[in-house]
Amino acid sequence: MADVQLEKINKIYPNGFHAVHDLTLDLADGEFLVLVGPSGCGKSTALRMVAGLEEISGGDLMIGDRRVNDVEPRDRDIAMVFQNYALYPQMSVRDNIGFPLRLKKVEKKARKQQENQAAGILELMEQMDKKPATLSGGQRQRVAMGRAIVRRPSLFLMDEPLSNLDAKLRVQMRAEISGIQRDLGVTTIYVTHDQVEAMTMGDRVAVLKDGHLQQVSDPETLYAEPANVFVAAFIGSPSMNLTEGVVSADGDNYKVTMGDQTVGLSASFVESRPALSGYLDKPVIVGFRPEDLEDAALMPGHPADQRLKATVGIREALGAETLIHFSINSTAVDSGDPDALDELGDDSETRCTARFSPKTKVKRGEEIDISIVSDAMHFFDRQTHLAIR
Amino acid sequence: MNRRTFWGFTLPSVFVMATLMVVPLVATIWLSMNQLFLRDINNPSFIGLDNYREVLGDEEFWAAARFTLVFVAITVPVQMLMGLGVALLLDTVERVRAIYLAALLLPFIVTPVVGTLIYKDLFDRGGLVAWLWEVISGDPFIVTASNVKWLIIVQAIWHVMPFAMVTFFAGLQTLPGSRVEAASIDGASYFRQLWHVTLPHLRVLILFVALVSIMDAYRVYDSVFVFAGSRFTEAHTLQVYTVEVAVDPQIGRVGKGNAIGVLNVIGIFVVLIPFLVISYKDQIRERH
Ligand SMILES: Nc1ncnc2c1ncn2[C@@H]1O[C@H](COP(=O)(O)OP(=O)(O)OP(=O)(O)O)[C@@H](O)[C@H]1O
Ligand SMILES: [Mg+2]
Repeated sequence: MADVQLEKINKIYPNGFHAVHDLTLDLADGEFLVLVGPSGCGKSTALRMVAGLEEISGGDLMIGDRRVNDVEPRDRDIAMVFQNYALYPQMSVRDNIGFPLRLKKVEKKARKQQENQAAGILELMEQMDKKPATLSGGQRQRVAMGRAIVRRPSLFLMDEPLSNLDAKLRVQMRAEISGIQRDLGVTTIYVTHDQVEAMTMGDRVAVLKDGHLQQVSDPETLYAEPANVFVAAFIGSPSMNLTEGVVSADGDNYKVTMGDQTVGLSASFVESRPALSGYLDKPVIVGFRPEDLEDAALMPGHPADQRLKATVGIREALGAETLIHFSINSTAVDSGDPDALDELGDDSETRCTARFSPKTKVKRGEEIDISIVSDAMHFFDRQTHLAIR
Repeated sequence: MNRRTFWGFTLPSVFVMATLMVVPLVATIWLSMNQLFLRDINNPSFIGLDNYREVLGDEEFWAAARFTLVFVAITVPVQMLMGLGVALLLDTVERVRAIYLAALLLPFIVTPVVGTLIYKDLFDRGGLVAWLWEVISGDPFIVTASNVKWLIIVQAIWHVMPFAMVTFFAGLQTLPGSRVEAASIDGASYFRQLWHVTLPHLRVLILFVALVSIMDAYRVYDSVFVFAGSRFTEAHTLQVYTVEVAVDPQIGRVGKGNAIGVLNVIGIFVVLIPFLVISYKDQIRERH
């Protein structure tokens, strides 16, 4: 077990592509850190540098108090779980799990006991003599986990270990991996492009975009206080609505105008974001989450000035909630997430999503009022995309 | 499937197999039981197993069989090991791989007789190797009864190694990188990775190359013909011996030649048995 430090780690591939820029991360002993970001942002590259599978072009990597930049993978005391599991096809499940021990020349009896223990944790005892080819995807995933945990490394590395599983199994394994990690207390770096996995599993989450670290913090902070537009849009599902707007003050009465919509802001909210006063009457990026919107008909007590007017577009009833799509006539914002669906049509309209209670009775095409929790709104600089706080 | 469709689909290939394999084999066996001379080819006379008795009592046959086996036993493993080594090296080359590959394949691409002649030139007077030999040892290089066998063996390795190499190289391209990486993280040194990951992945190809190379080596002819000719009969292999017995204008004993042919088939088969067994077991295992 060990703490891990990445100090200004860089990766420049031989073809000149700069995949990771000055990545600095500090992992406490036993911490579960999730690296998340859209496809191609450099998550795997970063993880592979920690594993020693990819050369580090610049910066320092410390595992425990050892600088391991130039240490061979096998001498770093790490274990890795690959997306495609990378099991040894000619070996039985037992031999796959026991392989690291065998290489460490662990004596046969002790080895068997450790293999059994790992298999017990992962409920693989029945499968011990089978070959990987005869296992299901979920079972193979478990064998890969077993091989990782069997020798108690000081660091687990996992590169999208669940992405080849079906949705249901993924949810189950998600919980299981978290549980095992917590029981063993092994420091873990977990790579995923799935923000739900990131939020549910990580003690802390590091968001990466184009090789640059955007923000690293616990899931709650990431959700409540995104550092920039990209993080705001990337974390949360459905993602945050982002549009251009202007904050203005009339004495002590603050309001934000987005196109022809005007929403009141409480004085206490504006005061809690001192930087906002520097942006008065200038265009800013306004963000509000679908879950901070509700059918006004269901919220009779909600302040009358905290409302949007909209025409109901597509309506998706999901059972526990109902998603409503609508547009507002203010300029749309590109969050920079390459995986996000490209907004159709022109930029002068912003497509928004609201997450209503399933009790809502609104119909497609209906003109409705939407109440908005304006104290939960986010503001970002139009040029730098950084949060205004 | 009804009977008609069944035969409709299978008959063409059964017919081809029969004409190309069964008929010649049966004919060979039949001829091997006859006294038959090339100069009097229309007059076979049945003599039972006399040809076999004669062949098995023939010291020249046994000498040829011994050298053929030695030749197979040396060239096949050496050429496979070298092929594997070169394939592994080539796999680490990142730039202009294709050029290396083409250069390495050259000995295999040229017509065998041409390859042998080029190789022979190296050892002839004025050839590079002969010249080097003379520079180093002071004596001129002469092909003798004792070194001709080695010349033939080295030539065969040079000629066939590219086949093993290119087959193994192709196999290496399908080895998932993550499996090698997993092994390196699990603590495997280079040779452990080779043993536990790379070689198991190449297993089927290794068997395949072994089978093909053994059959191919067993039938070695061109190089022996070029190097030994009729000068060094001790370097004769079974093929050369067979041809000599059967089609030499002076000897021309077709019946005896066919008897040697039948013995050759049996010989190859015996040598191949272990590999056939392994390959059969592999296939059975894959089905479970
Ligand atoms: N060997 C390489 N040479 C050059 N560029 C590379 C190499 N490997 C990856 N890249 C580039 O580096 C960037 C980051 O790749 P990486 O595999 O780390 O992305 P990722 O975040 O893991 O994406 P994904 O979610 O799709 O797995 C990509 O733009 C990729 O094209
Ligand atoms: Mg990746």
